[in-house]
Amino acid sequence: MKKSSNKRLAMLFDLRKCIGCMSCVIACKSENDVPLGVWRSWVKKIEKGRFPDTREYFLPIVCNNCENPICVTVCPVNAGIKRPDGIVYIDPHRCIGCRYCMASCPYGVRYIHPEKKIAEKCFWCHHRVDAGLKPACVLACPTGAILFGDRNDPESEISKAIATNAVQVIKPEMGTSPQTFYIDLDIDTVEAKKEKKE
Amino acid sequence: MESQVLYNTFQQEAFGIFIAIYFYLTGLSAGSFILSTLAYGFGMEKFKPIGRIGVVLATVLLVIAPLFLLFHIGMPLRAWHLFTYLNLSSPITWGSFLLILYPINCLIYAYFMFTEKNKLTKIFAFIGLPLAILVHGYTGFILAFGKARALWNTALMPILFLASAIVSGIALMILVYSIKERFFSKSKSINRDLVFSMGKLLAWAIVFDLFLVGCDLIVLSISHADAQAVAHLILFGKFSFLFLLVENFLGKIVPLFLLLIPRFRTLTTVIIASILVIIGIFFMRYVVVLGGEFIPLI
Ligand code: SF4
Ligand code: SF4
Repeated sequence: MKKSSNKRLAMLFDLRKCIGCMSCVIACKSENDVPLGVWRSWVKKIEKGRFPDTREYFLPIVCNNCENPICVTVCPVNAGIKRPDGIVYIDPHRCIGCRYCMASCPYGVRYIHPEKKIAEKCFWCHHRVDAGLKPACVLACPTGAILFGDRNDPESEISKAIATNAVQVIKPEMGTSPQTFYIDLDIDTVEAKKEKKE
Repeated sequence: MESQVLYNTFQQEAFGIFIAIYFYLTGLSAGSFILSTLAYGFGMEKFKPIGRIGVVLATVLLVIAPLFLLFHIGMPLRAWHLFTYLNLSSPITWGSFLLILYPINCLIYAYFMFTEKNKLTKIFAFIGLPLAILVHGYTGFILAFGKARALWNTALMPILFLASAIVSGIALMILVYSIKERFFSKSKSINRDLVFSMGKLLAWAIVFDLFLVGCDLIVLSISHADAQAVAHLILFGKFSFLFLLVENFLGKIVPLFLLLIPRFRTLTTVIIASILVIIGIFFMRYVVVLGGEFIPLI
């Protein structure tokens, strides 16, 4: 990979290391003051197979901060904004809470804040990134399963990990070019669906 | 592979019932408007009596419809942002302008119609026609841009919405016209010929609508996995009762028989058919909006 001057932040989950402890979820909740009943990040857990040939799988989900984010395309008031470094965030003063971004994002990562009534989602803790820190979940993960950094810098840990491992994204066919990558992503874990609660 | 979800979160509903009602009302409005232009734009004299009803309905419905949008959005007091922070790639932005232009045009058109300035009425009928088509067509794009929801993400959506708008518009017109003539006119009698011609129009509109729904279903049921899942949902799953029985059987097939078979054709059956259609199309909006977002994304 050639070194390019512009930054492109990316996140990588090494699912071989994930133990499903949800530390990232808790760190995210407290860092971003995420209210009850909604999540910016969560760990989907499934059980595959039948005893004795069975295993639990974990899939941490965050906003993919897509390269080609449909949520930004459809926001009628330009509240969804993609920064030059790739982070997609929502301007809280602009959002009118129309929920169109929630309807169009293929990953279901957005929610309406129950009190503020505006859309929110994971934006890779941009307030921490701007201060030179890593996102809260990256630091909280006890097994170091989450990598975060500049994908355009060949020397960064994440570039090396992406270059030397088979990586995958969720639903690449949606064409949003997600920038959250996974090592050891399992198709059944992505596709297993629970009936919606009534 | 046999697998079981142990833990996952639930996503909030994105659109829901208010949006379904909004789509329904704009559809009725666009349909009524298009019908009123038959006489005042295209000069079909026999439809003259419904021209005025059409434009009044179109305006009133289109004033009520956006209120449901305001109920839906979290920050209604920020609605003015829609006109100051434009994003031309968003169908909602297109809609914000249509929702202003279309009712204004309706008012001008109605004014000239009621003051009997026929030339000007005609001009505004033809300005209004594309606006009416767009004001409902854009709602089809709103859904079609929801790229992960297989039921929405089809290029058929705008035209499907227009077809059902015309269907529901004609039915509403038959109903309102009959009520008005029966109870609020001097003669207290309904012009049967007019009702039957509208009934015929309604029948052909239903045929076209059924054709589009059929095309959509056939492609959905052999397309990619998500599309098959949603086809299964509306054919055999939770929405099958509403989709098959209420929307298509009671709302389209039964009215079609009532309208097309000469032996059944009386004033009463045409009115019953219109009522069934009006209810059926409401559930069409309901199934499309709520069925489309029923299957969780992750
Ligand atoms: S994952 Fe969804 S919310 Fe996040 S950037 Fe992509 S489209 Fe937007
Ligand atoms: S909810 Fe807010 S961020 Fe989402 S599309 Fe509407 S205005 Fe934009």
